[in-house]
Amino acid sequence: MIEVKNIKKEFGKHLVLKDVSVKVEDGQVVVILGPSGSGKTTLLRCINFLENADSGRLTIGDTEVDLKRAGKKEILNIRRKTAFVFQNYNLFANKTAIENVMEGLVTARRVPKAKAREQAEEALNWVGLSDRYDYYPAQLSGGQQQRVGIARAFVLDPEVILFDEPTSALDPELVGETLDIIKRVAEKGITMIVVTHEMSFAQDVADKVIFMDGGVVVEEGTPEAIFSNPREERTRQFLSRIISLDPNYSI
Amino acid sequence: MNFNLDHFKESLIYGLIYLPNTLRLVFIPLVIGLSLGTLIALVRVYKVPVIGSLLALFVTVYQGVPIVVALMIYNLIFMLKFNDLAAFLHLKSEVSDVNNIWVGIFALSLTSVCSISEAIRGALLSIDKGQNEAGDSVGLTKVQTIVRIIIPQMIPVAIPMLINNVVGLIKASSVVMAIGIVEIVAGATIPSSRTYAFFEGYAAAAMIYWAFTAVVEGLAQKLKKYTGKFRRNLYD
Repeated sequence: MIEVKNIKKEFGKHLVLKDVSVKVEDGQVVVILGPSGSGKTTLLRCINFLENADSGRLTIGDTEVDLKRAGKKEILNIRRKTAFVFQNYNLFANKTAIENVMEGLVTARRVPKAKAREQAEEALNWVGLSDRYDYYPAQLSGGQQQRVGIARAFVLDPEVILFDEPTSALDPELVGETLDIIKRVAEKGITMIVVTHEMSFAQDVADKVIFMDGGVVVEEGTPEAIFSNPREERTRQFLSRIISLDPNYSI
Repeated sequence: MNFNLDHFKESLIYGLIYLPNTLRLVFIPLVIGLSLGTLIALVRVYKVPVIGSLLALFVTVYQGVPIVVALMIYNLIFMLKFNDLAAFLHLKSEVSDVNNIWVGIFALSLTSVCSISEAIRGALLSIDKGQNEAGDSVGLTKVQTIVRIIIPQMIPVAIPMLINNVVGLIKASSVVMAIGIVEIVAGATIPSSRTYAFFEGYAAAAMIYWAFTAVVEGLAQKLKKYTGKFRRNLYD
């Protein structure tokens, strides 16, 4: 179980997260929707300590930490229970696909190299990159890079994988292949928090949808409830604008 | 003006005899500059409190001092204070026992630490912040990320600027003539004081510097290719 309680975050005078609390059960796939600037990415980054929250508490499994006062060891401990998939992939540019996947295992978790390589090969095969082990990120397409990113997160067997707009930087043709992989991760029963603008993905895969706006959670519920019967006016407004752009989607 | 090839050759030989001095004046400061310079650049880029700003101040101030001036100051301090210091440390050596090439090496080292730290800082700043975040996210410590991810990516970016530094250092090494150290230029003009063939002497020195620099640049290009093999070769 992952629980974030009363998280607050300010950038200068701009309050990005105003007292947000989110709870995710084991194996749940939670999709966070919302307009740009609503604080969804910041929330995700705070959970992984890529951003230091101004207050709040975080519980992952049986570990509870204060988001503001966590020490270096606590932060490292939380990071080793979580994995992050970035919007712009952020693969290690000086490492090949397989080295990217092995890095967390070998250096952070001290898995013996041969075993790590085996696991990394398995992960890369699983995302359909069995012929790209020794390619550097610069030699891979965006979709392939993001699949390496997913393999790199997945191979660590984390308690939760955090996806920060994993398909936003991809062209429409590559979005599909990447979403398919993310769906397969979800089918494995891994806990996931996904920030995305892909409505059909949210509807197909999510167990729970959270709608954020202006630094607060406006509404949360099952995808059916949020998409077909939103309680809040703001949610309705947002969905109507997005869904009218998506011809594949009908309520 | 007649160009006397025999005098030129003689000067060339004398210059080459003192090449080892120039090598010491270049490579010891280079090694010190690379290690301390990288350290200073990392401290500044990762914004270590207090030390970072102190080092920034030091680099800025020190880079404003011409190398000849710094060299003269160190040499004066060395000549006036070395005996006192040796006595204080109960050493049995005197100022006349110590080769003042070490004063030259010291002055060139400090200069190269400053300029190399700036070159490396520039290269570090060119690396995307996302690389650090990716390291964090897979559970690497800061030091592991720096050593395994950031520095290997920084090297090929830094090499063109470092070549500039090394070439500058090779040429700057000739200023130690001012405190009486014999290196390539002083060596090549030794015969000239007898033959009055100063033009040939300086031409020989220029020739040696040119060849030396060409070799260094060639090696550096190879190193750049090798360390940058992960980059798409768009601009190389």
